[in-house]
Amino acid sequence: MESPVGEKGVPACGICGEPAVIFQPADRRYLCGTHLVREVEDLVRATVQENALIRPGDRIAVGLSGGKDSTALLVILSRILPAWPGANLVAITVDEGIAGYRADTIRAAQSLTGRLGVEHRMVSFADIIGQDLDHLLIGREKEACTVCGILRKKALADAARTAGATVVATGHNLDDEAQSVLMNAFRGDLPRLLRTTDARTAADFLPRIKPLAAVPEKEIAAYLFVQGFFTELPECPYTKYALRAEVRTFLSDYESAHPGTMQNLVASKKTIERCCAGAPVMEPLRRCRECGDPCSGDLCQVCRLRHSL
Amino acid sequence: MDPGPATVGELLGGLGLHPQEVIVARNGTLVPEQAAIGGDDEIRIIRIAHGG
Repeated sequence: MESPVGEKGVPACGICGEPAVIFQPADRRYLCGTHLVREVEDLVRATVQENALIRPGDRIAVGLSGGKDSTALLVILSRILPAWPGANLVAITVDEGIAGYRADTIRAAQSLTGRLGVEHRMVSFADIIGQDLDHLLIGREKEACTVCGILRKKALADAARTAGATVVATGHNLDDEAQSVLMNAFRGDLPRLLRTTDARTAADFLPRIKPLAAVPEKEIAAYLFVQGFFTELPECPYTKYALRAEVRTFLSDYESAHPGTMQNLVASKKTIERCCAGAPVMEPLRRCRECGDPCSGDLCQVCRLRHSL
Repeated sequence: MDPGPATVGELLGGLGLHPQEVIVARNGTLVPEQAAIGGDDEIRIIRIAHGG
């Protein structure tokens, strides 16, 4: 319910009447900091429980870049995890080797894990492919996000296995998920659209879960800010090459005009998943002929990348 | 004389910023885009959407 403007020109929380910190357009509702924190944590807990993302005794490797999404993920999991007896956390930071960018986020990750008392491990691109990202991208800067994404996924999975993890958690939020649905729809890539990563069914993969998938990006930032966890960090210098940025702007425009669009997109994906259950849409799982990692073709993406260097 | 934006949302609109892509603090406190702003207020706009 919408709230009238209250004290000092700030709308009042729809639950308690305290000054609001955020407006939720889809629900036309204002929330104060206390109720925002409670709602975000309840939403993540519900996402985890309804989709059985965590099991008792799990060792959860949290991909911790030091940015806002992974910071929120680690904070929230550290708070809700006691509901799963024996479950524990290990944070893994991947150092891609991006000059002028990564050092600040690594410091933020180290500070956070120290504050929360969570085990922290580091892995670098140099560890897995012998070079940092800046050197890998010389002459192929426009491929930055693709190359980085392939190697980051590999680095995180390898480090998680080494740490004895049973599941990998990433900080993808509602905006990320809606953007991915749209990008895959634009490409006409149904297999990729259906490649669910929040299920624990694929025996050959270390399961990947996205506990923040129902939380809007703005609520994550506000959640951190009101608790003093928000740190302004530099922008990745390769952002200008990101195709996703175009889709983000398009979706932001549409979400502004039609609140709830992102939730509807993600709900549509789940409907398509149900309709396609059992259909021969996905390519069968194979093994990379060079490294043995699971993949959909003859060579995995990392080995293909190695050949292209 | 232009009185300037009356709310955070009007300020963001004038700057061509999406409310979904920023959070805004007024005098150090987070506020929604419907909050009023005045000439003495210190406004901090934090961009939250980055990367690919």
